[in-house]
Amino acid sequence: MAGLQTIINKCNALNIDRRKVVGIQITRNEVARTSETPTFQPWRMTLSMPASLAYQTNRDLIEALDTLDRNTPEVVTFSDNVCLSWIFKYQGTMTSIQRNPITVQSFVGNVLTLTNLPAIGATRVLFQPNDLIQIGNKTYPFTSTTQVTRGTGTTVQIITNRPNILTGSVVGNTLKYGNDCEFKMFCPNMPTYTLVPGGYAQSSGVTTNNALLSFSDDFNLYEWVATA
Amino acid sequence: MGSNGVVMSQNIPEVQNTPAISSAEFVKLTIFNDFADPTDTTVYTFSSAYKPEIIDGQSYTPLGGMLAVGSQNRDLRVTSGDTIIALSGIGADNIFLVLGTKIRGSEVLISRGFYNDQGILGNTYTRFRGIITSYGIQEDREGNNDTFSCAVSASSYVNVLGNRIAGRKTNEESWKVFNPTDTSMDQVYSISGVNFDFGGDASSKRTVSGGGGGGGGGGGGYNDRGRYQER
Repeated sequence: MAGLQTIINKCNALNIDRRKVVGIQITRNEVARTSETPTFQPWRMTLSMPASLAYQTNRDLIEALDTLDRNTPEVVTFSDNVCLSWIFKYQGTMTSIQRNPITVQSFVGNVLTLTNLPAIGATRVLFQPNDLIQIGNKTYPFTSTTQVTRGTGTTVQIITNRPNILTGSVVGNTLKYGNDCEFKMFCPNMPTYTLVPGGYAQSSGVTTNNALLSFSDDFNLYEWVATA
Repeated sequence: MGSNGVVMSQNIPEVQNTPAISSAEFVKLTIFNDFADPTDTTVYTFSSAYKPEIIDGQSYTPLGGMLAVGSQNRDLRVTSGDTIIALSGIGADNIFLVLGTKIRGSEVLISRGFYNDQGILGNTYTRFRGIITSYGIQEDREGNNDTFSCAVSASSYVNVLGNRIAGRKTNEESWKVFNPTDTSMDQVYSISGVNFDFGGDASSKRTVSGGGGGGGGGGGGYNDRGRYQER
């Protein structure tokens, strides 16, 4: 069983933190001054779990989490659960047939240039803000920060949420879109769990011992960018 | 020159007329493997940037494990200042860098590079230039959390020069270190401990032995031996 994927699938709430490393000072006359350190800008997700998971039916989950521990990443997605797949659903107007041939022409800084675009109307929206894009087999997804329309040229430019942190060439690679994208995350605080008596099952007068899982903390997932 | 060997009048357009900047630190360590051969060096470069950057033909890796760069004094007057560079001891070869190389005495150059809105590195400017004076390795284990860090301290060139003792002793031995044929100080030993009467009659009484209690002008003499000339 995939531990973190199961946590995502069963969580109560999802908090997403993509804040940059920024220093801010407000001067005496209340002028803001900022200093940013360019980083990988890893995705950080905080997942709250309900205290309703039964121990007997989730022992594989426990073992998966213990095996992952705090230092092993896992590739997770928001596409394999119908209850979650809407979160990062592609919002543009291209069909999968239209977008599959699109390839990367260049990715410099935070400007991603795409080519082999479909022959569709110039006003058609290719990407909406917050649409996820993942390049080829590279691990790390990016988001479009602006609305991108087809236009009339042979290329379009997307301003991504973070600069190109990928190693190696990305030229000619195809793309994944929306909830097809994957995140490589690990859980630096990997909560421990407590077995609280409850969740008993009774059948034919026989009670099966059981317990409910109570995790010690939220799951703080952090994107594993060490090998970007 | 500024306090850390930087030209004070450096113009940095990236920080002018803007309330927001984006910058990263780039560190270059030049380790001298053999003090007798200044060309025998090993260079380590690392940065707090998000991707490898090439500055003056040298690639600065972001995976070098830099954790922090200490503050650096920035003064109008020439003053000395130290800084600390903290490195991750995990994974990278930073512990080897500290223990396995002759890191003390190596040269450290810290630059600051500025990024534009697209996340592309523009100009870089020297921020600190100095010499590694000490290092430390620390392991912090608290419960199941175990962290390792290496820290090297660097003194600016101003500080290094300030600790230097310049000049020579005015005696025969010291005087012949650089020029064995120089006899200028050969007689110093013979007049050591003797007060010389600079105001006296040269043909009759040139020296006053002992504590120089008598004789006009005896107080003008002095013992020159072992005197430093510091600059």
